[in-house]
Amino acid sequence: MSFNRLTWIVIAAVAMLGFTANTVIARTLDEIIKSGTIKVGVNPTLPPLGKFDEKNEIVGFDVDYANEIAKLLGVKLEIVQVGSPDRIPFVQTGKIDFVMGAMTRTPERAKVIDFTLPVHTEVMGVLTIEGKPFKHWKDLDNENITLVQVRGTTPIKFIEDNLKKAKVTQLDNYPDAVRALAQGRGDGLIDIIDFVGEHMNKHQVKWKVVETPVDVYYCGLGVAKNSTGLKDWLNVAIFDLHKKGKVGELWKKWFGIDMLYPTGVGAAF
Amino acid sequence: MSYTLQFGQIWPYLPSLLAGAWLSLQIAFVAFCGGLLIGTAGATALSFGAGPLRRLVRGYVTFFTNTPQLVQIYFLYFALPDAGILLSSYTAVLIGMTLNAGAYLTDIQRAGFESVRSSEMEAAEVLGFGRMQQVRYVILPHVARVLFPPLSNQYIIMTLGTSMAAIFGVEELTGRAFNINSQTFRSIEVFSVTAALYVVITLVATVVLGLIGRFAFRARMRLV
Repeated sequence: MSFNRLTWIVIAAVAMLGFTANTVIARTLDEIIKSGTIKVGVNPTLPPLGKFDEKNEIVGFDVDYANEIAKLLGVKLEIVQVGSPDRIPFVQTGKIDFVMGAMTRTPERAKVIDFTLPVHTEVMGVLTIEGKPFKHWKDLDNENITLVQVRGTTPIKFIEDNLKKAKVTQLDNYPDAVRALAQGRGDGLIDIIDFVGEHMNKHQVKWKVVETPVDVYYCGLGVAKNSTGLKDWLNVAIFDLHKKGKVGELWKKWFGIDMLYPTGVGAAF
Repeated sequence: MSYTLQFGQIWPYLPSLLAGAWLSLQIAFVAFCGGLLIGTAGATALSFGAGPLRRLVRGYVTFFTNTPQLVQIYFLYFALPDAGILLSSYTAVLIGMTLNAGAYLTDIQRAGFESVRSSEMEAAEVLGFGRMQQVRYVILPHVARVLFPPLSNQYIIMTLGTSMAAIFGVEELTGRAFNINSQTFRSIEVFSVTAALYVVITLVATVVLGLIGRFAFRARMRLV
């Protein structure tokens, strides 16, 4: 028993040593420029932000956007595959210079990594069809309302907690759920609306997104703490890409619809 | 690797699972009864019907026994609305399973009809039985005895087959298991309880059907 505990202490100590040692090696802006390559983490399990194409290469909005950043910096782009659990350690240990993949800015995450200005938003909202009278997502809390959802996704819990009266038809996947909604099997679908855009376009239906969203998430680039120089440069680059309309163009290309809540180029930029 | 089983987190959901199991039973029972009606009519047509009618029924049986049931229901649920026919989840699953069962039960019953030997029929005729008497005293007792075991098997298969209803938004046992799994992430516990419920449902059906078969139709059936 005591041996076990000792072993764990040793392992923990080594791990912490490794951690502190690694934190130091997050690269500065100068080092990135000098090396000629910027390393960007992309999660290929979040289409259309990142996915594998027929040649098994990672493509998507995130890849195209990272390419624009690399062009502005005058370096080559190296895409590093990341997953949800390891993406933040990858930034902290300098394996990548910044990470993408719907990095929603939250105070909790910002304790561990720094965020740049927002690149895009994600809207948790209500997708419905032209002519339905809803003005606010709370209008759906009614026993005559049927929501079409995907089985096993997080919005189900939200509906159970906040829209108790609504009926829910749970289908197997997003294409099925969007098709069912288009065929008139329900009144609405609550989810991250941006990500169902590619399925919406396959139906001859006048879609409508309810004016008041449930929530809007702002997603930036994730960089290591103490990378102020890199972060400052990225903020200027992000501003530049927003101003040139590059973000909107790439969004439309990959999502099939315009960004529902554009970040805008406000005074904060 | 160590995993601590936490069945305690699943018990609050047991009433929901039981309600789902009840719905599964209902779907299987209704679809089986409907399928039995279609099957009896179909088998009668195949055995005694005119040529065109036989070909029509043969076509129906061939089509439904050679395509997956999942695809058949998918067609009813997602393709028919494009032709203006909007079936609810429950209706689409029920119609799909009934039509599918009808095809299998047609074939099973046709085989049963054919198993009545012509010598038995000739004997009945020699003894002066009328048509209805032949059906009542020769054909039915024979057919029931031969057919009861495969019909009960079909019923068990259909009970388990109801699990695909979850894909079309019917909250039967499997659908509810998926829901509870996504809320608790207790996959091993949720699905072992679900599997146990399916075993209970089918065991009870096997024993009940076996008893009926043994005593009512003198069929040779195992109880467990």
